[in-house]
Amino acid sequence: MSVITTPFGDMQVSESKIIHMKGGILGFEEATRYLLFMQNREIPFGWFVSADNPSIAFVVINSFVAEPEYEPVIPDSDAELLEITSPDDAVVLSIVTINSNPFSVTVNLAAPIVINAQKMLAKQVVINDQRYSLQHSITDNKTLFEKKTGDGDDVLDAVTVR
Amino acid sequence: MLILSRKLNETIRIGNDITITILEVTGSRIRVGIDAPSEVAVHREEVYQAISRENVTAAEYSESRDENLFHLWDRLRNPMKEDVR
Repeated sequence: MSVITTPFGDMQVSESKIIHMKGGILGFEEATRYLLFMQNREIPFGWFVSADNPSIAFVVINSFVAEPEYEPVIPDSDAELLEITSPDDAVVLSIVTINSNPFSVTVNLAAPIVINAQKMLAKQVVINDQRYSLQHSITDNKTLFEKKTGDGDDVLDAVTVR
Repeated sequence: MLILSRKLNETIRIGNDITITILEVTGSRIRVGIDAPSEVAVHREEVYQAISRENVTAAEYSESRDENLFHLWDRLRNPMKEDVR
């Protein structure tokens, strides 16, 4: 157990909940240990928070919930690095960008966070596919809003807050 | 900056385990092959910059100190509602 300062206050967190990011998040390479917080089952968003620097935090969503047709091909070198041998090993999260004026919400399908939930290893992986952009809009995604729960979020044993 | 000249199919080695080979030269376009350990991230510079920029923009939301994602969810579902924050 270690005490980690998060945007939700200081928390006792088991070492087994810490996700080790290979190479960090691009632009924030110095932070490599993260925690995933899912608020609850009602909403598909969660927080991906640095365990070392609480000012580094990202809103994330399960990429397959954000875009049901999403078919990312993870490069072999990244799968090897994350020790992923089958697609079932991988949890894929997209970082969410929220602009307030004008209000818009986009998700990053071009460079998702791929997590091996068994080994708690992760990397921001670049998907080489023209269909997937860094700013995929979900502002008008009706199927997403009809969903009652964040399907698939339970794949990862996330820390749940409130 | 170290500057080296290389011919087609010649290689540059960086450290013990990274090699860069010139594979093809067509006009101003050069194809290079990179061999590096899987823990070494290799990106096109403009791709790296674009992803970093997007990540930095995304991280700004956490500075709003509104850690309650219900508000975001609510606003997405009810786009006409006035933002009360």
